[in-house]
Amino acid sequence: MNLIKHLVLLLAAPLVFAQTPNLSGFWELRFDSRNVPEASLTLDATKIAREQRAHDAHAIRWCYNLGVPFLMAQTPIDIIQNASGKEVAITFPYRGPSRHIYTDGRKHVNPDVFDPSSSGDSIGHWEGETLVVDTIGFSDEGVISIPGGGRRTVTSHLMERYRLVKNGQQLSVTSTWDDAQTFSKPHTYEFRYYRAPKGTEAREYDCNASDEERAKFLTGTPGL
Amino acid sequence: MKKQFLLALVLAGLVNTKINAQKAPDLSGYWERRDDVGGGSFGGIFDKIIPKAELKPEVREENRRNAARQAAGDVVGFGSKWCLSSSYPFFMQHSAAWSIAQTDNEIVQVHETHSFPRHIYMDGRKHPEPALLNPSSTGHAIGHWEGDALVVDTVGFIGGGTPGGGKIGPGTRLTERFHLLDGGKKLSVTFTWTDPAFYVKPHTYELQYYRSEPGTYAFEEYCHADDPKQSGSVVAPPQK
Repeated sequence: MNLIKHLVLLLAAPLVFAQTPNLSGFWELRFDSRNVPEASLTLDATKIAREQRAHDAHAIRWCYNLGVPFLMAQTPIDIIQNASGKEVAITFPYRGPSRHIYTDGRKHVNPDVFDPSSSGDSIGHWEGETLVVDTIGFSDEGVISIPGGGRRTVTSHLMERYRLVKNGQQLSVTSTWDDAQTFSKPHTYEFRYYRAPKGTEAREYDCNASDEERAKFLTGTPGL
Repeated sequence: MKKQFLLALVLAGLVNTKINAQKAPDLSGYWERRDDVGGGSFGGIFDKIIPKAELKPEVREENRRNAARQAAGDVVGFGSKWCLSSSYPFFMQHSAAWSIAQTDNEIVQVHETHSFPRHIYMDGRKHPEPALLNPSSTGHAIGHWEGDALVVDTVGFIGGGTPGGGKIGPGTRLTERFHLLDGGKKLSVTFTWTDPAFYVKPHTYELQYYRSEPGTYAFEEYCHADDPKQSGSVVAPPQK
């Protein structure tokens, strides 16, 4: 009896101590998925709201890389948590860069070397059952607006906390943006993604900047 | 008591070894092409290692007409000018590294070029019925393991081309075999394209990739269609 008890404990130990929650799969936002308070913006950030809208509209018109955080709201997102434990990838139904969150213990790439990008340089680690993701190295490419107000800039710092809730049927992602250029205090909001139905498949929403009808719709007077 | 614990330790080790032995090979990580054959360029490598696709006479004739148009200064494709998405397998031939993210239920190929990531479903699902199949740039891909080889079956492409002059259309089927070489330092991918509309016989070739150094990270390729320099990569064509 003792032999069996020891055996069970020894086999179960790696599962109990080494296994992190599995966030893999397709996730989607629904109408009640967002808790987004208004951001406290610096005076400078408030003044350039119109310019920011024009910047985003231009990026969409010309099919630029859209970037974070815009893509995190374009669902279904697909999270692929490598079995190796070294990386978590997030893909989107839009053309362009996927997110790579390195969980192999590396530090941020030296900013003197890293080419700023629309999704930045992300590293992650587990705190209990929460995946904590730290991102810097953003560019101003793509859609820069942040839910609740403000914008992504080259000095933005994003901290995200991913954790399963409701028995793994929902994924909570809390995002905190810190950037003295934009926010008078860190800006935090939470999305709760619903696990997409089994058999969900990736979609491809393409973008064609040469489509004149599309360009007319996006830049012309609504209704004409 | 101590004896029983030691015996349990040995048994647990044996069971864990068995479990690990049944695990699928870990293909995850970054992979990149190199010039092993002295091709001098990525196109040059293809000339040395990829056989010419054996195409039906009417497809060869269409290709000949397109080549003649190009030689006369017409532009056959505007992809680079307008930053259009490239279709699979373009990024498998690209100079940039690409990566594999792997779980039991899904394997995803992620790359840095202007195209979509490729999702390979490993959860036992089938292809959708043809009437429900949404053609896409990466097709509908399902995979399974045959020993150490990942076998991927893909249908539902929009269109495009392959190395060696092959064509891809709505009726094209791609079968691939991914397997690790040299203790996981290299990855072999064998591509077999079939389509009775284009090919006289299946078009098969192999590409090999080297595992990138630890610490490799993804770049982000960008393309701005409104940038005159980007448009300038295509010379104004004589045709309307």
